[in-house]
Amino acid sequence: MTMTAISDAATAIPAPAVTVRRQTNSGRIAMTLAIVALVAVAVMPWWASTGTIRMILELCCYIAVAQMWNLLAGYAGLVSVGQQAFMGAAGYALFVLAQTFGINPFLAVLLSLIVPAVLAVPLYFLLHRLDGPYFSIGTWVVAEVFRLVASNLPLVNSGAGMSLRVMSQYSAFERNVAMSLLCAFMLLVTLGGSYWLLRSRFGLALIAMRDNPVAAASQGVDVSRLRFLVYVAAAVGCGLAGAVYFMAQLRINPPSAFDPMWANVAIFIVMIGGIGSIEGVLIGSLIFFIADRWFGEYGATYFVVLGLMTLLVALYARTGIWGLLSRRFDAPWFPFRRFLVDPNR
Amino acid sequence: MQWFDALVQGILLGGMYAQYALGMALMFGVMRIVNISHGDLVILLSLIGISMATAWGLGPLAVLAILVPLGLFMGWLLQKAVLNKVVGSDPLPSLIATFGLSIALQNLMLQIWSANSRSLPGGGIESRSVDIGGIYIGLLPVIVLVVAIALTWGLDLMLKKTRFGRALRAAAADVEAAAMTGINPRAVYALATAVAVGILGFAAVFQSLRSTVAPADGAAQLIYAFEAVIIGGMGSVWGAFIGSMVLGISQGIGFRIDPGFGVLAGHLVFLIVLATRPQGLFGKA
Repeated sequence: MTMTAISDAATAIPAPAVTVRRQTNSGRIAMTLAIVALVAVAVMPWWASTGTIRMILELCCYIAVAQMWNLLAGYAGLVSVGQQAFMGAAGYALFVLAQTFGINPFLAVLLSLIVPAVLAVPLYFLLHRLDGPYFSIGTWVVAEVFRLVASNLPLVNSGAGMSLRVMSQYSAFERNVAMSLLCAFMLLVTLGGSYWLLRSRFGLALIAMRDNPVAAASQGVDVSRLRFLVYVAAAVGCGLAGAVYFMAQLRINPPSAFDPMWANVAIFIVMIGGIGSIEGVLIGSLIFFIADRWFGEYGATYFVVLGLMTLLVALYARTGIWGLLSRRFDAPWFPFRRFLVDPNR
Repeated sequence: MQWFDALVQGILLGGMYAQYALGMALMFGVMRIVNISHGDLVILLSLIGISMATAWGLGPLAVLAILVPLGLFMGWLLQKAVLNKVVGSDPLPSLIATFGLSIALQNLMLQIWSANSRSLPGGGIESRSVDIGGIYIGLLPVIVLVVAIALTWGLDLMLKKTRFGRALRAAAADVEAAAMTGINPRAVYALATAVAVGILGFAAVFQSLRSTVAPADGAAQLIYAFEAVIIGGMGSVWGAFIGSMVLGISQGIGFRIDPGFGVLAGHLVFLIVLATRPQGLFGKA
């Protein structure tokens, strides 16, 4: 009897007609600015000098690599310190395709992304057996293996490295146009793609997994499959950054291709800016970029300060700058939360 | 004969790696923490030892007598100042904290000692060797191996027999239950890290006697220690020792095949173990 009473009551009172609000004013402003910035990056050759384009390209690579690390560590709980493996692999693939096989270099950038994607699959199945901190050092070993293999592989000219001489058949302006378009594409794929992912159904699952993987699994989130997908996606994103970066460098050799510096940069950017948020990556990248320009000349001292700052953030402010800011102001740039709004009120 | 020689040299090299790996096995076994600055601490201790030896004309034994207590103190300080704040079920904070520390230490050493490679003068011991049936065996590598076996044996005995060892194993099995029986986990952790870094004092002396050290070398030491621990099986002291032997032999034979292949051979054996026996050779599944 009571059972029917409850079900009667439930059908008698209709569910309140709520709408789901997913965008905020701050989000709209930020989205407009982001689109303006993206277009500005795409048309750089018409307003910036070659030197400025190279600087912005470097910044775009920092943002892309940091966001990929953020996706791995901040959402999937996969703390990699070896994403440079995929940067170098895609960079080398570009050089081999364009220089050795004579494929159009701009097409080769996109084709080279197949290499990190294909490598990431078996590597994930190997590395996911390592738990927590051991996963991290495992990724580092993989990057070292890549570096040592490249140093011994005649196909990529072993330790001596390769040059992208085919680029000389294009004028400086043509190259700048290609670089700018590639930068805009890279930002669109890494930042835009992450934002789209976080707003999608996968995003809900990712955020649930970030907050508590066990609880997420109990709610039907396939945690291991999601982790695998994030790992492969991050490999491709880092590969894109690597291909673009080394195309601009025109030279690649094993120590530069698999430079652990990229892991340092990504960790610094994300930890200082704020882990688990796109805003944090942008803030951290800008801070690192400016600090690099201003204090880079101090060399070792500068890195001592960066290292200590990372240490202090891990000890005392794990959410970084964006975490501290968002506690005070609820104005996300890239909102992906769902707000239930009652239209009658 | 050539391959037997490679095997012997590999075992001797493994003795060196065991000295790095023991501390890492202890820290991971007890706290589930991987200290990314592990290798940098070896290099820091080595460089301090070399500077003291050149400034005051100390011999290797005197340097050892200073570096081991210094290592113990550094480990205790590291735990008190940093690791006790980040130990917990989430591995990210401890990883990031020690990663930041590693970058800071590396660059600090670069500033103080410059990028040059240095080594510790051993008074001729480093070049002495014995000829056993056509195989030349260096005296120093044998001492390194003997010390490594003694350290492994001592650490294993300490974990099994002493009160501190029992407290350590209790804290490793279940922190809360251990705390209920009157063990102070933070004090136990501080001692464990002190012992782990103290062992690195031995590694520092032998590393700088055997070859050279430079501020950027720490990363390689960290990776070797890590590979040895995984190959042997986590949480076991003798496992870490055997893992070091496997790694040393793989590298020794790899170097004999091709000088560019040595380190890579070690990495490949590690990946093969990971693929076929992820719990390690001696780990429980």
